[in-house]
Amino acid sequence: MVFVNENLIQSAVLIACSLVSISKAIKYKSRTWSLLSFFYGCWLIDDVYWMLYALFFDGKTPTLSVLSDLNWYASYVFLYFLIRQVAPPYTRRETRVIPWLAFVFTFSMAAFYMQWGEVLSNLIYANLIGLLLFSVIRRLMDLDDYRDILLLCAVSLFFVAFEYGLWTASCFWREDSLFNPYYWFDALLTLSFPFFIAATAKAVRS
Amino acid sequence: MSYIENIYVCLAAPILLAIMLLRREARGSLAFTLMGMTSCLLSAYVSSFAAGAAGLGLAEASLEIAPVVEEVMKSLPILFYLLVFAPRKGDAIRGTIMVSVGFATFENVCFLTSYGTEDLLRLLIRGFGTGAMHVTCGMVVAIGLFFLWDRAWLRVVGGFALLCFVIRFHSIYNLLVNGSGPVFWIGSAIPLTFILVYMIAFRSSVRIS
Repeated sequence: MVFVNENLIQSAVLIACSLVSISKAIKYKSRTWSLLSFFYGCWLIDDVYWMLYALFFDGKTPTLSVLSDLNWYASYVFLYFLIRQVAPPYTRRETRVIPWLAFVFTFSMAAFYMQWGEVLSNLIYANLIGLLLFSVIRRLMDLDDYRDILLLCAVSLFFVAFEYGLWTASCFWREDSLFNPYYWFDALLTLSFPFFIAATAKAVRS
Repeated sequence: MSYIENIYVCLAAPILLAIMLLRREARGSLAFTLMGMTSCLLSAYVSSFAAGAAGLGLAEASLEIAPVVEEVMKSLPILFYLLVFAPRKGDAIRGTIMVSVGFATFENVCFLTSYGTEDLLRLLIRGFGTGAMHVTCGMVVAIGLFFLWDRAWLRVVGGFALLCFVIRFHSIYNLLVNGSGPVFWIGSAIPLTFILVYMIAFRSSVRIS
């Protein structure tokens, strides 16, 4: 029951965020706001799918997790494109080690999650989130050039942190109660969605 | 049991003749319609095989396997057209819509032969609903590909993301129209609403010429 209620709240927040970003995309005919709309839309549509699936099949979850998470993969792709879209082109030529640690982190976590989840699904997440973190960290390291998108990068980092918190919690706590840390992280994830609008607006204004 | 390949032959034959007789845009539109119908036929085979291989029942396969296979198969003719002919935006978007129309038409005909033709109201809703769903999915992919990204590699990754989006949209549609009563009505109304919103809000800003 907590799962459905929590999903309903997240869906409501996402619907509100989607409407705001779609209206801005139409008003300004903006690619940036369209990308944000797709990010919200993808997350929302997978939330709705999981919720409906659970309702129609008596609490069961989709069987093939590689396919059932498709839109959450797509959300990360759109978030990556959003950051690319609002940030000035990255021009530095020298190779740095620290951004690559993003992939070390995501693949290590994927290896850990593979004890419970599917291999392919975890590898896809590791690649996509690794790419997103790589892009964010690289820009944060050159803060002078990318000060305008600092808020967007920070929100993205928090978003990914909450997502990893949620996944890690789901490995150890399974009960459908509010005392499960999974729901705390999911609540934080829900709260972080509106901040993307503020961060994108700031980046676009700059 | 329906022999869908026989239905396909009957429907495809006049279209094929028309393609040979017509020229330019009319020929292109009919060719895309035929490609859509062919994609539908092939996706029925692939879906059945994949569902059998994954050990899924009919209901689960229609939600988890069929949308993935159908949307991927539907995008293949358009990908071929984009890569080989490098068409103008308007031509590519028109082609995508015609592939979707062909796909939806063939799917509806197969549905008619399997479930009968007695209930006109339900068929009317299904006809518009399925048509709108396939056209919406095709349009999202086509418009997204052309208006959101301007470089080839961005289109490839972005195309994957858009495909994911339409696959899930398709899954939710299948989930709802498999229900009865208000659930069926809501499921059928969602893609129609998208088409109406597009016609009202976007038509002026994203013109398909």
